[in-house]
Amino acid sequence: MMANLYVKAVPPVDLNRNTEWFTYPGVWTTYILILFFAWLLVLSIFGCSPGMAWTIVNLAHFAVTYHFFHWKKGTPFADDQGIYNALTWWEQIDNGKQLTRNRKFLTVVPVVLYLIASHTTDYQHPMLFLNTLAAIVLVIAKFPNMHKVRIFGINADK
Amino acid sequence: MIAIPYLTALTTFFSYVLLFAFGQIRDIFRKITGWYSSNNLQGYAPICLGLEDFYIRRLYLRIQDCFGRPISSAPDAWFDVVERYSNDNNKTLIRTSKISRCLNLGSYNYLGFAASDEYCTPRVIESMKKYSPSTCSSRVDAGTTSLHEELEKCVANFVGKPAAIVFGMGYVTNSAVLPVLMGKGGLIISDSLNHNSIVNGARGSGATVRVFQHNTPSHLEEVLREQIAEGQPRTHRPWKKIIVIVEGIYSMEGELCKLPEIIAICKKYKAYTYLDEAHSIGAVGKTGRGVCELLGVDPVDVDIMMGTFTKSFGSCGGYIAGSKELIQYLKYTCPAHLYATSLSPPAAEQIISAIKVILGEDGTSRGAQKLARIRENSNFFRSELQKMGFEVLGDNDSPVMPIMLYNPAKIPAFSRECLKQNVAVVTVAFPATPLLLARARICISASHTKEDLIQALEVISRVGDLVGIKYFPAEPKKQQEEEKMLKLE
Repeated sequence: MMANLYVKAVPPVDLNRNTEWFTYPGVWTTYILILFFAWLLVLSIFGCSPGMAWTIVNLAHFAVTYHFFHWKKGTPFADDQGIYNALTWWEQIDNGKQLTRNRKFLTVVPVVLYLIASHTTDYQHPMLFLNTLAAIVLVIAKFPNMHKVRIFGINADK
Repeated sequence: MIAIPYLTALTTFFSYVLLFAFGQIRDIFRKITGWYSSNNLQGYAPICLGLEDFYIRRLYLRIQDCFGRPISSAPDAWFDVVERYSNDNNKTLIRTSKISRCLNLGSYNYLGFAASDEYCTPRVIESMKKYSPSTCSSRVDAGTTSLHEELEKCVANFVGKPAAIVFGMGYVTNSAVLPVLMGKGGLIISDSLNHNSIVNGARGSGATVRVFQHNTPSHLEEVLREQIAEGQPRTHRPWKKIIVIVEGIYSMEGELCKLPEIIAICKKYKAYTYLDEAHSIGAVGKTGRGVCELLGVDPVDVDIMMGTFTKSFGSCGGYIAGSKELIQYLKYTCPAHLYATSLSPPAAEQIISAIKVILGEDGTSRGAQKLARIRENSNFFRSELQKMGFEVLGDNDSPVMPIMLYNPAKIPAFSRECLKQNVAVVTVAFPATPLLLARARICISASHTKEDLIQALEVISRVGDLVGIKYFPAEPKKQQEEEKMLKLE
């Protein structure tokens, strides 16, 4: 039934193989579904309250996306001869163009997660503090003004 | 145009996320266990930066047995594949002495010249005895034999241009000629799915490179207008030269280039055109002269025509055909001509004989038969696969047909299962293709008989059911019979 829904896959003009997969249809849905299933998984493993589970998902999401989008630099293959070795994944997508649809979507996701997590925990501490910290760090890292900025030289090239 | 079922796109993304996650977890464990082993290379820079070989170590090596299979016979329609096994989960593969006779659906053997041919092979052996396998010199020193001169005339004649120059290697033809033709201040506009040799040559030339959407003449026009209006990057001076590079048949898509429209646009904006006919020369067109003949484009309209001899002619090397002045210029500037060893004489003789067979100058009609056979075989195979419900790319008349697999797990499944049933296919994954669009690429040859093709279709259909790649609804056979009955009445 669902297999009859076809989507067109137009080869994009992005030459960077590390980021062009993000322009195909279905990425946003996969991202949201992974977060939702992660929440179900946490609920079933830890048996905690839904709010606690959303907080755990939010913090894990923070750790994973900060590490892979804003910390790790370069590409996982050597074909491009290292021209992207100084750029994080976030700085590479859409060829460095700011405020595209993909970037706006990726900025909204941590905010929405933050709202869900804080609402379901009834805004109690310490969860609220941790959630707020995660949301602030992620959103600031995605500002257009932070493009290629390395604060205090952390994570800069030698 | 590729149409993915939505559910397949979601599951493919999820599979890659899972593979990536497992790879990262294994890397973390490796870092922990590797902390204790000392290395006596203090002060040396690491060969690979942390992330660079991640794809090779954690994704490619898992299915390494599907790539690079050694063969032990000529790559004819049927060939011998050497069996390999692994004791450490595919990290190292060990060859055995057992071979399995498989149907060859992967070699670029479009006209069947890959195996011993009754006209070509005796002449090749004779030329090897006369000229020896290597000239041991570059073209300008002592490496130009009468065979090379004859070959260049032959190729120029075949392609329809005044002159040609040949090189010893096909990849080098692109990557050594583009830096000579273009330099700083020039503009190279290349199709987004061009081959790595063109990308390499363009990068090495120092010119500005822009990419247009694959096979979309309207986007090419947009890019041309934008670039001509803006001029060079910072000075905004007019470009010194603009060249548009396209391929005849794109080897990963099996598609033909929209040549007439692209040539019209290039003439309008006064840009040069460079046509890479690696896969189309000798394989398409009524007399085998490539995409220009097939699409009705006059060779005079294409400024530089490039091709290789590895696919349809069963040899090695590449050529560039163009005006006499262009070829004369290349002969005294191109490093592949000045410093690289010249084409091996028996290989040159193979090409000359193959061209003679194609043109019918050997006195038989085998050339015309081969061309007709490859056309029939390709169209038959493609239509049968599409009827079975596979998603097959490529235009009609093109001998290259990729079957879409999408999910990363289906790549080794399809490849290994087909090998078990004695059909050898080539599967292609990221990064040669986009991440989502992994495929199995089938190359049809004129030496495949109808029985071979029917057997291949049966095996692929069985394996396709097992692996689950029939993404489109199959045409039911009863409907076809009813249509036939109606037509008879």
